[in-house]
Amino acid sequence: MPYPTTAALAFRNVTRNARRSAIALIAVGFGIVAMLLAAGFIDDILHGMREETIETHLGHVQITRPHYLEAGLAAPFDYLLPDNWPERQLLEKTNRVVVVSPRLTFNGLISLGDTTVSFLADGVEPDKEKNLAKQLKIVAGQNLSETEPKTVILGQGLATSLGAKLGDKVVLVANTQKGGVNAVEVTVRGTFSTVTKAYDDVALRLPLKTAQQLLRVQGTHRWVVLLDRTESTAAVVAALRQQFDSKKFDIVPWSQLADFYNKTVTLFSRQVTVMKLIIAAIIVLSISNTMMMSVMERTGDVGTAMALGNSRRDMLSLFLSEGLMLGIAGALLGVILGWAFAAVISFIGIPMPPPPGATEGFTAKIRLTPGLTSQALVLAILTTLIASVYPAWKASRMIIVDALRHNR
Amino acid sequence: MATRAPVVQVEHICKDYKLGEETVHALKDISFNIDDGVFLAIAGPSGSGKSTMLNMIGCIDTPTSGKIVVDGTDVSGKTPDELADLRSRTISFVFQTFNLFPVLSAEENVEYPMLRRTDISKSERKERVSFFLNTVGLAKYAGHRPNQLSGGQRQRVAIARALATRPRIVLADEPTANLDYKTGESILSMMKAINRAFETTFVFSTHDQRVMGMADRLVRIEDGELTTLGVRAGNVWKYVKEKDVPIPTSDAEMQQLLKEDPELRRMIMEDPELRRALLDDQSVAGVAGKGGR
Ligand SMILES: Nc1ncnc2c1ncn2[C@@H]1O[C@H](COP(=O)(O)OP(=O)(O)OP(=O)(O)O)[C@@H](O)[C@H]1O
Ligand SMILES: [Mg+2]
Repeated sequence: MPYPTTAALAFRNVTRNARRSAIALIAVGFGIVAMLLAAGFIDDILHGMREETIETHLGHVQITRPHYLEAGLAAPFDYLLPDNWPERQLLEKTNRVVVVSPRLTFNGLISLGDTTVSFLADGVEPDKEKNLAKQLKIVAGQNLSETEPKTVILGQGLATSLGAKLGDKVVLVANTQKGGVNAVEVTVRGTFSTVTKAYDDVALRLPLKTAQQLLRVQGTHRWVVLLDRTESTAAVVAALRQQFDSKKFDIVPWSQLADFYNKTVTLFSRQVTVMKLIIAAIIVLSISNTMMMSVMERTGDVGTAMALGNSRRDMLSLFLSEGLMLGIAGALLGVILGWAFAAVISFIGIPMPPPPGATEGFTAKIRLTPGLTSQALVLAILTTLIASVYPAWKASRMIIVDALRHNR
Repeated sequence: MATRAPVVQVEHICKDYKLGEETVHALKDISFNIDDGVFLAIAGPSGSGKSTMLNMIGCIDTPTSGKIVVDGTDVSGKTPDELADLRSRTISFVFQTFNLFPVLSAEENVEYPMLRRTDISKSERKERVSFFLNTVGLAKYAGHRPNQLSGGQRQRVAIARALATRPRIVLADEPTANLDYKTGESILSMMKAINRAFETTFVFSTHDQRVMGMADRLVRIEDGELTTLGVRAGNVWKYVKEKDVPIPTSDAEMQQLLKEDPELRRMIMEDPELRRALLDDQSVAGVAGKGGR
């Protein structure tokens, strides 16, 4: 039988058997809604975490001297990026780059009264960092300011262990490039927190100029680059690797630095994959059951159709087409309902407790991306089709005379 | 007409069914021919093997041994696909339970068997649908679904469907068993009229005396054995074979038999006469005017 005819017949069977088709559609649609909501929920959490990691801390791309990230903290003076290198200008003019913020990273000791603890400091340009570290939360006081060079902001944990309050004068001590020790007195202007509590326990930030004076150096360790969108990262990294000499620079995308985020993604992705498999199994089981019932109910019809000259292949492709149509319709239904539910749930918001290592809770939404949506469509259509294979094969293998007797 | 080869030749057919340890011999060495254009009834008591015989002729079941030639083609050893194609071109069925597709309207049901025939154009298909729905008197019901039709109407649709492919032979397994007396009779008269008009070969299985009354050929099976072959001229049945006489087991034997019985030969060779003798049925006359295949 020509295929368009088979498809037309399958369409009639599906649409004119409203009750049976509705059962199948509900099964597929329900599975797809469940998958979209669960995956979209986790995706929203991961997406929020990703953007927060980038915007509080990492930026999208970091440019350093080669191997700085592996070995730099132990020998900070061996990996300096001079301010006057022309690549700096080039970088700022690169497409999609919003901000380039230089950072000088070092450790030392911080004292307040009798208390002295070690710290990990970032010397930053306050103006640029305001753009870059949008999500750095100032818990108390104010962020750094260009006009107040002799100030510092402390990570919340560090401020606590030091017993520092706003306005306190603290002394920072660090090694200089030439091997000496230098100190500077700065005022506590504020305290901050990030997603990573361990970092907040030791971190402080101060204006880049003050940091350079303390270490008696020119230059910085990294140029932290913020892009217009996270999705542009790969393209920009590729472009920069073309332009910049790899003997002079390491060009590192955020994804290589976001260790905690990456591990979280791996963990959750496994869970989501398991969930998708479970949903796929549920769809396959319930659809193959529905299809099998449909084939059994229509045994007499199959016998008649074959007696009237239809081949086994005609029967096979008829039932497969019906499965495919149910799959497509169920997928569309599921996606439409999924989007609708997602919109409602996102509007209301899901209150979430603080994630591990963080201090504050947040409101999660359901994040449905085109990628996830097309995955759901493919999953629904594929599983329904797979579920139809055995029933369709059964139908095509029926013994005609036995099938005809079924009508009696 | 009379010189044409038989539509179906049944030669030494046996059919066994295995039921656990036991073997049921449903058909035992049956041979006969079905001539072109006949109205043939297969009669016999319940369980005698009528349906089994029809299924073999219709190529939806295969004999345990023996040979069936349909429209010049020996069907033994054909693949299911080849048999499907043969059915699609030369054989049609009318079922006791009508077997219309419930999701299709009357006209869609009639169109159905033509759908796989790429040699029939769409316009030709539509023409045939309306012609045959008209022939069975259901033009007004074209858009109705089977569950909106009475049993008799359904069987008429089934007959239109069977005729639409212009088959060489229509097989009907107890087509009137699910109908009341009057409706059954009108369905039969209609089939008879169509048989006259289009010279389509009809083969029935039945235990209904009326069906046998309309037939011009009779094959009687009892307990899987062919007991009687009958040919009718006018209102007189000439029995070719009866239980106590050996049954011809080959074409050659049949030919021999015909040679020995000149009256029988005349009846068979001059089929048109035989038919004209039967043309007194009024319901036949109306349709007969509409032309043949
Ligand atoms: N699939 C089968 N398996 C086993 N035995 C079968 C099968 N089909 C038919 N038979 C047997 O073959 C014999 C002939 O059956 P068949 O259906 O041809 O009879 P019939 O003449 O059509 O009877 P009825 O008039 O009741 O329809 C019966 O004894 C029946 O039990
Ligand atoms: Mg029977």
